[in-house]
Amino acid sequence: MADKSKKKVSRRKFLVRGGLGTIGVVAIGAYIFRNPIRRQILGMVNSLEAPYTDNTDKPMVWFEVTSDNTILLHSPKMEMGQGTFTGIAQMAADELSVTMNQIKVVHAASSTGNVDSFATGGSTSISGLWKPLRELAAMLRVMLLKEAALKLNIGVDELSVADGIISGNGKTLTYAQAAEGVEQWEVPDAPVLKDIKDYKYIGQPIARVDLEAKVYGDPIFGMDADMPGMLYGAVVRPTKIGATFVSADTSGAESMPGVIKIIVEDDFVGVVANSMIAAEHAKNAIKVTWNSIEDLDTTAITEMMTVGNGNSTIIQQNGAAFDEDDEFATLEFRSPIGAHAQIEPNGVVASVEADNAIIKISTQVVSLTRKEVAKRLGLDTEQVNIVPTYLGGGFGRRLHTPHAVQAAVMSKAVGKPVKYFFSRKEEFQHDMFRPPTHHIIKGKLNAEGYLDGLEHQFVSGDVATDSALVPNVLTNFLGADVGAIRGGFIQYTDIPNFKSVYWHVELPFATSWWRSLGLLANTFAMESFIDEMALKANKNAVDFRLRQIGEQDIDVRLKNVIKAAAEKAKYSEEVVDGRAMGFAASIDANTPCAQVAEVSIVDNEIKVHKVTVAMDPGLAVNPDQIRAQCEGCVIMGMSAVLYEQMFVENGELTPTIYGPYQMALMKNAPKEIDVILLQGKDTPGAVGEPPLGPIGAAIANAVRRLTGERLTQLPLKLSTES
Amino acid sequence: MRLKAIYIFSMFLLLGLIFVLANSPKFSGYEIVEKTKLQNQQGNEDFNKMMDVLTHQRCMNCHPSDHIPKQGDESHPHYFGMTRGEDDHGFEATTCNTCHQSENNMSSGVPGAPHWALAPASMAWEGLTRTEIAKRLLDKSMNGNRSHEDLIKHMTEDDLVLWAWEPGVDAEGEQRTLPPVSKEDFKIAVENWFANGAVIPSK
Amino acid sequence: MKISITVNGVVKALEIADENTPLLWVIRDTLNLKGTKFGCGKAACGACTLHVDGEAVRSCSYPVKFAEGKEVTTIEGLGDRENPHPVQQAWIDEIVPQCGYCQPGFMMATAALLNKVPTPTDEDIDKNIINVCRCGTYYRMRKAIHKAAELQADKVMNESKTL
Repeated sequence: MADKSKKKVSRRKFLVRGGLGTIGVVAIGAYIFRNPIRRQILGMVNSLEAPYTDNTDKPMVWFEVTSDNTILLHSPKMEMGQGTFTGIAQMAADELSVTMNQIKVVHAASSTGNVDSFATGGSTSISGLWKPLRELAAMLRVMLLKEAALKLNIGVDELSVADGIISGNGKTLTYAQAAEGVEQWEVPDAPVLKDIKDYKYIGQPIARVDLEAKVYGDPIFGMDADMPGMLYGAVVRPTKIGATFVSADTSGAESMPGVIKIIVEDDFVGVVANSMIAAEHAKNAIKVTWNSIEDLDTTAITEMMTVGNGNSTIIQQNGAAFDEDDEFATLEFRSPIGAHAQIEPNGVVASVEADNAIIKISTQVVSLTRKEVAKRLGLDTEQVNIVPTYLGGGFGRRLHTPHAVQAAVMSKAVGKPVKYFFSRKEEFQHDMFRPPTHHIIKGKLNAEGYLDGLEHQFVSGDVATDSALVPNVLTNFLGADVGAIRGGFIQYTDIPNFKSVYWHVELPFATSWWRSLGLLANTFAMESFIDEMALKANKNAVDFRLRQIGEQDIDVRLKNVIKAAAEKAKYSEEVVDGRAMGFAASIDANTPCAQVAEVSIVDNEIKVHKVTVAMDPGLAVNPDQIRAQCEGCVIMGMSAVLYEQMFVENGELTPTIYGPYQMALMKNAPKEIDVILLQGKDTPGAVGEPPLGPIGAAIANAVRRLTGERLTQLPLKLSTES
Repeated sequence: MRLKAIYIFSMFLLLGLIFVLANSPKFSGYEIVEKTKLQNQQGNEDFNKMMDVLTHQRCMNCHPSDHIPKQGDESHPHYFGMTRGEDDHGFEATTCNTCHQSENNMSSGVPGAPHWALAPASMAWEGLTRTEIAKRLLDKSMNGNRSHEDLIKHMTEDDLVLWAWEPGVDAEGEQRTLPPVSKEDFKIAVENWFANGAVIPSK
Repeated sequence: MKISITVNGVVKALEIADENTPLLWVIRDTLNLKGTKFGCGKAACGACTLHVDGEAVRSCSYPVKFAEGKEVTTIEGLGDRENPHPVQQAWIDEIVPQCGYCQPGFMMATAALLNKVPTPTDEDIDKNIINVCRCGTYYRMRKAIHKAAELQADKVMNESKTL
């Protein structure tokens, strides 16, 4: 990145890398922070798609044109299964006029590429990059055409381009040929984007660009990363909640075979050895003294997590408050501690030298990890190069990856690269969990059997609060945890009086971002309650919902997905052949989603046979990958609401292995998932989390119709189940 | 005559003594009762020791009545839905040996022993009384046509049976619970019980 | 100890310090075949599934000493881009993977299943395919397994024709 030929055009800068036929382009965008009153912001946090947050002031590579006429797209967003690489490849290919085969997407490394200053998460990758990436690709096309015009001595207007080959006047040049030898690029003005109907790939169900790598077992993940001369590290971690390091007796471990060095820092004890097994054995031989807090159990956590504890913030209010004399229906709901349980453990390879560090890691937060490593090592941020890999599952687990710091410290201590990853037990005990929640919901029906008032009071452990990713000043300013409140808003805004109140309680262990954040539990509670009100009013669950939704754009889109799901699933309140349907809907990050679950009781257990999903994510860049996200969310969601639960016993988080931490298996997954995509707006919206909303209530509402039992606790268990 | 009388008397006495010494149990109702009592006490003790082991979770977990292997001290159903399958070795492609090898795995905590499998369905013990287990054990139509010698050999020499005393560590690295009777005492109890006729106590 | 294993058709003579080292780490670190994944190390998730003499084995819980003289097949040896295994082809046709980390284990388990049960029913799939996928790709996987059975049957038929 030694080139200095930067030009400023409007808000964008370009870097051109000369020689070898490679070109780089950079864009500078601004993250515009909105600043009106608190409640409005909270409402926006719930409904808005976050913009792409690129705040670097240095030119970084977005594209490279290689000599075989391939375009390398350096993605600022990580690929963790959500299909972002495929979507952005489609966007770039269309504006660049190349084929999908001519685009290769790689993760941008922090030293050379443009990495997201915030994170990969929140279902924002495609929507956030929709405009800037297409503009950049269009600019690159224009730049290449100008160079071709010079080389071919033809006017730009006479040139046409298809499949990465520029032709005019009977002559042709590849993009690579056009780029070759160019020292000084002429930067165009703001580009004119193609008409959406002219796009060849956007809107098509293109196969994932990483499909073959993942089917043939290519070494693309963080756990697969190696470095020459690499050693293996392990870190001693406490099993008890709240334990802090006091001292370590390393005498037993020092002389063990394969052990290179024991590293005792203020905040951790690590061991470096010449094999993973040797490091593991030595780790187990180190005796650490921990300061620990009083032993907790699940009951204590449940008591803490009860509405009325902590501070409250009204996040939504309309009309009058309930009169205590009013007769209202009340239900309480609870959700448990949830683990991320992604299959690839957190892992990292770090190579630290005197004035630089290279970190290969699966992370959702390149910039944060870079800053943390630099700070600990006393290096400048620029001296740390984070080289991201594919993620073997993200789900929010990798929105803080401080193990990079520990690996870096160990590497520095031994002067060699060190690979370090979590054991599965460490994954389960040192996860940053989905917080448990408690909800009290009250409702009052009017004479016509519709809601006159609705109130949601809920308490949750931290999601965004105390996260390394979001400054606490934000939470303090807003008064509510921007993650925990996701899905906690009342979407039936035609109800005359409604209110939603968030209570903040901090738990003694780390809770944080779990795919869809508060949405899973909040929607389970709210949509179960709404269903119960519909039954109480003796009304069809779909009609009951439709009647109480407002008339704003998002309301209309919500009504449309509700109608579409009900129609496609042939929603009925009848139990037929032992099967019942359950209905639920939610809005998350401006994407409405409705689901119908078909459920029966088999061997005294809840069995989900079919789920119909109707979702309006706006413009569908890749409908197949959106379907895949819907299918995945349905299955991950049903896993969470039917089976998953962490406990606290004798001060330890448990279980620590798959199996005891029960998750959906092949046999549990519905054999039919029917996805209908609506397009209620002309830009792409959030996809990777919104379908997690309705599934819990949809299943519970079906069970209610089957057994008469209103299940109010996750995971859902029949009272007759052992 | 006196000498003759003494001779005859002596002969009777001698014979009587011989009879008394050699056959007294068969001739004395009292002695028989005593002996039976003794035998029962000893037999019961052997039987109970043997059954303490057979009904312990280390053994019982693999003798299920619902075709589902059990795990752990609380005998929960085997995770991930493993069941007996067609041949007591699990399913066609996911068999016991997909995870269980011929010895315990100390790093994963997965237990192992030669020919790791469920006991056949005919040897399902779960939920049975000790008497019912013993009847099933001795019934050739249920026990794989095993004679008493075969059973003694199976119970005292088979690696999979004896695994109960070397069960290794679990997934947490914790030593698995051992049966309440030592391996040596169990072997002796089994041998004695069979040697004494494999009598199943009526109570 | 010295050990000889045939891995993906190639005989490998190895010097192993600890004979109880899980086969997984020999495959990944010594032989540098990274397609076989570490997920839990407790034979619970199935990410490390490979074949030993044609049988599905969870290699995190399989000491390397047991592999002596045996044939080990990993995802890299199941098939490749030029000659995909029917399971891999089906996985491509149905666009199964999301994050992709668990997929090699599932494909190896499926290939083993098709060896034993060429046309598996849904019930056969439910019983035999008990690996864990967090992204929730089971729905597409089931379709892909049925598809793979068809592709394999076609392949067998074509091969018997050419003979």
